[in-house]
Amino acid sequence: MRLMVPNPLALIAEVTHRCPLHCVYCSNPLELAGTKEELSTEEWTSVFQQSGKLGMLHAHFTGGEPLARTDLTELISAARAAGLYTNLITSGIGLNEQRLKTLVDAGLDHIQISFQDSREQAANWIAGAKAHAHKIELSRAIRRQIGENKIAFTVNLVVHRQNLDHLEEMIAFIEQLNPERVEIAHAQYYGWALANRAALLPTQSQLAKAVAIVANAEKRLAGRIRIDSVVPDYYAKYPKACMGGWGRRLLLINPAGKVLPCHAAEVLPGLLFENVRNKTLAWIWQESSSFRRFRGEDWMPEPCRSCDRRGEDFGGCRCQAFLLAGDATVTDPACSLAPSHGTVESAVREANSGAAVAQPAAASSFVQLQKQTTDLWSYRTNPE
Amino acid sequence: MAPPSDASQPCLAAGCRWGGSEEDRVILFPEGAIKLQGTGRQVLERCDGQRTFGEIIAELQKQFGAADPAKIRSDISAFLEQLQKKRIVDY
Repeated sequence: MRLMVPNPLALIAEVTHRCPLHCVYCSNPLELAGTKEELSTEEWTSVFQQSGKLGMLHAHFTGGEPLARTDLTELISAARAAGLYTNLITSGIGLNEQRLKTLVDAGLDHIQISFQDSREQAANWIAGAKAHAHKIELSRAIRRQIGENKIAFTVNLVVHRQNLDHLEEMIAFIEQLNPERVEIAHAQYYGWALANRAALLPTQSQLAKAVAIVANAEKRLAGRIRIDSVVPDYYAKYPKACMGGWGRRLLLINPAGKVLPCHAAEVLPGLLFENVRNKTLAWIWQESSSFRRFRGEDWMPEPCRSCDRRGEDFGGCRCQAFLLAGDATVTDPACSLAPSHGTVESAVREANSGAAVAQPAAASSFVQLQKQTTDLWSYRTNPE
Repeated sequence: MAPPSDASQPCLAAGCRWGGSEEDRVILFPEGAIKLQGTGRQVLERCDGQRTFGEIIAELQKQFGAADPAKIRSDISAFLEQLQKKRIVDY
């Protein structure tokens, strides 16, 4: 008999892949789920009810841009009714003070707004959209709402080669937006970010400075703004504990209802991911072959199998193993002990030999931006 | 930030609330949850924004009569200060 699997803690609900932004660091898959395939309000409601019954605690609404769903209020309210803590991860495009209030009334607990930069032109250049000014305005509206309604506000800042040189300025910028939390996340190389890696991977010296700046800000802002930072695994000695281990704590449902152990798993060949349209969430979590594939330690190769850290990092990320080493069953190449670590080392070497940063392009439209930067990166597109 | 003063009225911070079941009470916050049992739970259940820190201390000192009152005070103060830094408690 197989041992009972502990229930998942949180649901990542990718409610749509539609997005008004085109961020070059987007970790969505290159093959986005189409609008017509999206789960309906009723189907999501059933997902939230099942999640609540499974003892899950959080529902993280993400995408794409969740606000592109006109039924987002109903979805938030269904998740809250199922006992879940509701977190909206958003660009803020599509939100005004009135809609925000509606979402808060429906039970929204936490809102997380992403910023691409502190400088407007650079921010719009990264996002491939004129979004920066609206985000600032919206952050002020959020502060006003918080006074009355007690939702939490986090600013998320994705950092990389193109903006790390003015990290201090970006932190000062975020400080005046006055969130409770800041997430400073180095771009993670999946999906669009992997395709654009050469333009995004920082240099060793950028990273060293950034680490010191973040440590300093943590000290200075203690008690006022909590800083959570995500380190770039390409420069780490050991891999990240991706998703806290495969099928161990989290599950993700994509816009079309596919249940995945992480954001990128669809790239893995030979795995069949079940759909909530056909199977219950409990069955998929406990029994499906895809969730069992890399759960626990039985699948592990050397050096993971005999490594003291296997209970901490779970062999790292399966998708990264596939994307960089061509084999999902090997140790994450980000690990310095991995036989395939050379792939990461050569990317890092390249990052430290090339030009540092490009000049942000100014353009009045996305099409213009795209034309101006074809040799630097490709912008995230939208699904059919 | 300083530790809570006697007159402060600790409460859960914005976007933090109770969840879970009666036997398995947790505080939910933006990126996680803490399971609370025993004394920790008793302290946080009193952080209702009404009671002052001084009152919370007095209640718990009375309840745990056998323990050193100064230690109860310093433990609870350190506990709340730590949660304040995580933006889970305000005072």
